[in-house]
Order: sequence, then C-alpha cells, then structure tokens
Amino acid sequence: MSGTLNVLIGLAMGLNLVALGSSRLPALIQAMSLQGVLLGVMPLLLEEEGFNWRVAVVAAATVIGKGIVIPNLLRRATRAANIERESDPFLGFVPSLLLGAGGTIAAVALARALPLLPEHAGTLLVPGAIASILTGFILLIGRVKAISQVCGYLILENGIYLFGLLLIHSTPLLVESGILLDVTVGVFVIGIIVDRIQRAFDSLDTRRLTTLRE
Amino acid sequence: MSPGPILLLAAAATLSAIVAGPRSARAWLALMLTGTVAGLAAALVVLGGSVDWEWRSDFALGGEDVHLRLDGVSALFLVLLCVVGGAATVYAQDYWSEKQYPQSAPRGRAWWGGLLLSMTWVLLCANGLHFLIGWELFTVCAFFLIRRDDRRPAVRAASWLYLAASHAGTVFLFAFFNALAVRRGSWDLDAMRDQAELAPLFWLALAGFGIKAGMFPLHFWLPAAHANAPSHVSAILSGVAIKMGIYGLVRFSGLLPVPAAAGWVVIGLGAVSALLGIAFALVQNDYKRLLAYCSVENIGIILIGLGGALLAASQNDAPWGRLALAGAFLHVWNHGVSKALLFLGAGSVLHATGTREMSRLGGLWQRMPWTTGLFAVGAIAVAALPPLNGFISEWLVYLGLFEAASTRTIAAWAAIPAIILLAVSGALALASFTKVIGIIFLGAPRTAAASRAHECGRMMRGPMLVLGGLCAALGLLPLLFWPAIARAVGSWRPGWADAPAPVALGQLSAAQVLLGVAGVAAAAWLWRKARGGSARRGLTWDCGYATLAARMQYTGGSLAGVAAGWFDWALQPELRQRRPRGQFPASAFRRERIPETVLEKILGPVSAAIRQLAAVARRLQHGRLQFYLLYVVIGLAALGLLVWLEGRP
Repeated sequence: MSGTLNVLIGLAMGLNLVALGSSRLPALIQAMSLQGVLLGVMPLLLEEEGFNWRVAVVAAATVIGKGIVIPNLLRRATRAANIERESDPFLGFVPSLLLGAGGTIAAVALARALPLLPEHAGTLLVPGAIASILTGFILLIGRVKAISQVCGYLILENGIYLFGLLLIHSTPLLVESGILLDVTVGVFVIGIIVDRIQRAFDSLDTRRLTTLRE
Repeated sequence: MSPGPILLLAAAATLSAIVAGPRSARAWLALMLTGTVAGLAAALVVLGGSVDWEWRSDFALGGEDVHLRLDGVSALFLVLLCVVGGAATVYAQDYWSEKQYPQSAPRGRAWWGGLLLSMTWVLLCANGLHFLIGWELFTVCAFFLIRRDDRRPAVRAASWLYLAASHAGTVFLFAFFNALAVRRGSWDLDAMRDQAELAPLFWLALAGFGIKAGMFPLHFWLPAAHANAPSHVSAILSGVAIKMGIYGLVRFSGLLPVPAAAGWVVIGLGAVSALLGIAFALVQNDYKRLLAYCSVENIGIILIGLGGALLAASQNDAPWGRLALAGAFLHVWNHGVSKALLFLGAGSVLHATGTREMSRLGGLWQRMPWTTGLFAVGAIAVAALPPLNGFISEWLVYLGLFEAASTRTIAAWAAIPAIILLAVSGALALASFTKVIGIIFLGAPRTAAASRAHECGRMMRGPMLVLGGLCAALGLLPLLFWPAIARAVGSWRPGWADAPAPVALGQLSAAQVLLGVAGVAAAAWLWRKARGGSARRGLTWDCGYATLAARMQYTGGSLAGVAAGWFDWALQPELRQRRPRGQFPASAFRRERIPETVLEKILGPVSAAIRQLAAVARRLQHGRLQFYLLYVVIGLAALGLLVWLEGRP
C-alpha cells in the first residue's frame, strides 16, 4: 500500500516541478489539476480496513473539485482574459525550477530530521507536503499573472492537504473538505476579480496593483 | 458642618456653570463663584477640623464604587485651586471677553468649568480608576483652554506639545495604577505603607507626575504652553495645574512605601529644577515665558522640601523632615497665589500693549500704576524677599535643611548641596524679577504700543488685589496659617501630626510686619516724591549720542548677560551677528536666541531619528503582493527555525 502511495506522491512532486518550469498557463493549470486528481485518490489508498463510504465521498469530491471544477474555471478565465503565457515573471523559470528542485531535496532531508511517527516515517507524505507548500510559495512570489498566482495558491493548498492526510485517522476528512470548499469559493472570487481587473486595467499584471495599497 | 453637602453644592454649581457658561457670562460668573467659594469652605472645614471627610457610593461607576476622600493634603490643594480658580474666573470676564473673542470666549467658559471640576475630582478621588479618568479629563480641558486663540500657529503648536507630553506622563500613570491594582487586587487607594514590595512603583509615579509638575528635564512642554495660553489660563496652569503633579507625588509617597533612594532623587531633581529653571527664566525676553520658567524653579523648591521629608522619613522620622515638608506645603500655596498674581499682571500688560516682548515695553508704571504695584508684590513674593510669603516658605525649607545639615548624618550630604543650589537660584530669581520689573515697568516706553498702554479695568484689578492681599497675609501672619499646614503634614505621615510651629516663626512674623510697614512707608514716600514734580524727567545717560531715543535704554539681555554667561553650558545660546565695520558702517545686527535646550537638542533629534526609522519601515509597505508573500515565507521559516532551536536538547 505504502509503495503505491509513494509513487503517487513522487508523481505529485514531479508535477510541482512541471508547474514551476512551464511558461504556458494551460500547462500550469493542467499540472495542477493532475496533482489534484492524484491527491484525491490518496485517501482511498490510506484506508486499511476496507471501503469506507465517507472517505470515498470526500475523495470523489476532491477529484471533482481539484481535478475538474477549479481547473475549468481557471481555463475559462484564461480564455476570457485572452492570455496564454506568463511573460517576464519576477523570478525566471530556470531559477524557480532550480529553487523548487532544491526545495524538494531540502524537504526530503528535513523530513528525515523531523521526529515523525513510525508509520509516517516510511512514506513521502511529509516531504511531499513541504515541497508542495514551497512550490506554491515560489509560484506566488515569482509570478506576476493573477492566474499563475491562483495556481500557486492551489498547489500550496495541496501541500496542506497532504499534511492533513497524516491525520486521517484522528481527524475526519470533513475538515479537509471544509478547506476545499473555502478554496473553491476563493477561486470563484478570484475568477470574478480577475475578470474585473482585466476589464478595468486591460491587463492581469499584478504589479500594476501597487497603487491600490492602503 | 460636614463638608459633604458643601462639596455637593460646589459640584452642582460648577456643573450648571458648564452648561450655562456658553450662553450667559453673568450666570457663569455667579455659578463659578458659588462653586469655588463652596469648595473653599469645604476644604477649610477639613483643614480647620481634625476629621477627614470620606464618602463611598452604593452604586458603581465603571465597575468601581465611587470613593471620595478629603483629608489634609487634598484640602490643602483644594484651597489653592478654589482661591486661584475663583480669582481667575472673575479676571477672565474682562480679559477674555465676549466682545473681543465672540467665538472663543463662550466655549472657553465651559472648558474652564470642566477644568476646575476635573481637578477637584482628582483631588478627592480615592480610587485609582476614577483618579485616572479625572486626570485625563483635566488634561483635555487644559488642552482646549490653552488653544483658546487657535488662529496663531504658535498657540496650536504649544497646545499639541502640551497634550503629547501630558499623555506621555499618563502612560506612566496607567502603568503605575495598573501595577498597583494588580498587586493589591483593588483599585482603592488606602494607606499601604506596610507593603514594602510596592516601593519600586514610586519611580513610575515620579515620572508620570513629574511631567505634569514640570520638573527639569521633563518641563519641556511647560514654557510654551504657559506662555501661549490666555493669561487667566496661564495663572491656573502655573498656579494650580502643575501643583497637581506635586499633589500626585505627595499623595502617593504618603500612601505607598518609597524606595530608599527616593529622597535623594527627589532632592536632586528639585535642586536641578530650581537652578536651571531660574537660569532659563533669567534669559527670556518673553515675560510670560520667563514666568513659566520661574514656575519650574519653584517646583524645584517644593521638590527639595518634599525630598527632604522623604529623606527624613527614611531616617527614623527625623524631626527636621516636618519643617521641610511644611515649607514645601506652604510653598505650594505661596507659589500658587503669587504666580497666579504675576500671570494676571502679565495678562494686564499684554491686554494693554499687545506684546509679550519685554524689549518693546518700558515705562509702564506711569500708565499702569495698579498693575505695576501688584506685579511688584507678586515679584517680591515669588523672589522670596521679606516681608512677603515666598520668604516664609523658603525659610522653612532652609530651616529643615540646616537642621539636617547639622545632624552630621548622611542626610547632611544631601542637605548642604541643596542649600547652596537653593541659595544660588534664589539670587538668580531676584535678578530675573529685577529684570522684569526694570525693563517692563521702569524707564521710558520703548515703542508706541508701550506708550499707549492703559490701566486694566476693575474686574481684572479686583482678583489681583485679592491675590496680592493673600500674599501679604501669608507673609505677615504665618502663624495664622500654620495649623492648616501642620494638619496637611499630619495627613501625609500620621506620626508627624500636630507638629508645633517653630518658635522662630513667631519672631520672624514680627520682623516681617516691621519690615512690611517700613517697606510700605518707603514706597509711599518714593511715590509722593516721584509724583510731586520736583524730580527732573528725561532719558538717562546719553553717552554722547546726538539723537537720544528710548530704544537705547539698557536692555533685558544686557541686564541678565553676566549671570546668564555662567549657564552657557545649559542654555546653549545661538548668536548671529554682523559687527559694524569701517568708519561709516552701513548695517549691523546682533540676534541672540536661547533655544529650548531639552526640546531642541535632545527630544528633537531623537524624534527625528524615530521618524526616519519609521520612513524606512514604511518602504516595506510598497503594495507588491509578491513581496508580501515573501515576508510570509521568511516569517514562517524564522518561526520554524525558532521552534527547531528551542526543541533541540
């Protein structure tokens, strides 16, 4: 069981790097939605005592939310705003890729140093979670297009979700589904704001928002 | 009769004065006078008797029962408040009249009532929470009174400085009262001398009340505020409001235990305040500012007395402490009355000439004989010359210090330097007031404004006469007032109750009366001679100049020059001049300015540095979302590192 889980987490970590390295927005959204699907499947693998219908419902909701609904919303926003690429980001693609790779290695090293429970020590859950959070932050900090930042935010949330899986036996997934609901609403709001920004400023460059401070 | 109903009457009258004040000046005057006279009566009942008045409410105000107490100490200050408050109320009627200030006068009357009421509240409160509320109200009322003439930028600046300084002081008081309440579990202010762990709180009280009292170097707000306020407000600020700081110190050094060093520190601060306060006063050209700095000096004298008492109390209740404290208490009255008289006199001069610069005045004695005479009485009193009251209280402080010096204990090390500094500042005070009287009232008018001056009206003269009379009474008949002072001393420290009057005080009183009679006779003789016409009138020494003008008279700067030179290290005068060159010099000037040393050389640079730092921090807020997120990451990483470092064995 743990082997399959580790493969899935490893894939998710790989998708982090894809998200960091791609300049095209559709590719970024694609990587994020794939990661969401992988994450949605994980709770089913963690269940040891057979099928639990509540976990199944949450897993299905996660797959639909992270894998289908949110990415589709973002794709629609991209089309509406008529942008394809992330041009001149704060942090170049190669540096952010290097940072992400370094971060992933550091996360694995850090997880070794952390005092984890024996049943978590064998999995990649903790390093995967840390690496995803780091990736989310790098995207949030390094990119200027509002849609890339939404993607960064979602990847950050994926990392938090991975952490949440550690507690699957003690905390009901309801907490996680609550977070997911928040994120969905957040993305709706951001989608609307993106539309408004586009109409008002004819651009989605968040650097132009500095005059809105205070 | 119990003071309770009288105080209720006073409060009711003052409250209705606040309500009626903006509409009717006459009703306001009548109500305020009723209030002050009733307050005075209540205070005198307590001072004359031997029982404190105490009252505790059945209802709670802000979660605390209202607890009022009028004992010897608060009654002493209440007497001063009511006397000066009543006199200045009458004075304000003419001085800040509706005719001259249609906008400012009506509102000023309401704030005036608020000021008197809130100060009374502070004096009566025996609950820390209510004390703080009253203290804040008093500060705010005074702020609005200082800026009565708020069209002038200097007035606005002075009022803001006052408010900022007062709030800085209140911060200390908040800390003080909160710490007190937390450690005792109650906001009630009862005697707690036996709880030795409360002693360090004294330093907080010293800082908080010290700012209000205007002791050096926390006096930085005082000269500007007292000089720029309307004169009746200056009178109550200098005469009474700064004494509230003294009241706080007296009250809480009496109720609480004090640290061993308290007496030394208070004497030291007092000596520094006395010396530097009068040094700054000596060099001022603005006569109201001079009077304000002179208040710093007198606060210093009071603090020397209080410090002596604290020192004596820590040395097995040495008997000389009573004398020092009695001197300090009497000086609270004396300075309050004489400084109020001086500020009212200054207001009369300002009213008549429109200028606060001494170098534009001169020769006012012929045009304003009443003001001149009364101002001279105030000056003699405040410069501590016999036969008036300032001499008596300073003499008591000296007496206490000399006895301390002769005990050959460690207290002598505090007393001897204090005596020397007190003597030096007394001499400088004399020089300062010689300068004020000489430049403003004697000689010939230097400008047209001074030559057009007119005597003030009866409503302004009356209060000054009352205050002048009090100066004389306190000076000539000190034995009459001694029981009240002894009662206050007993309230401060129960073991010191019923102190007998020093034997020498009676003899001194006789000498004072003799001197007074001789002085009045000499003044009358001089007056007759001067008015008689036998004297030749003209400008003094012409020194070979072809055209002799009044502007060429001896100036205040040159009068004070030598003595001021000794204090250049503290005064830091800024001199700009162009000397006359060649045989036919085209132009020349000499401008000397005395900066507010503490404000401009210390507080100014410090606050500028803080502003710069704040501007740097402001740059962190640039509006770029990405960097804000970076801050979050850095913050998270730092937090993680902290947790990791803490977790390591």
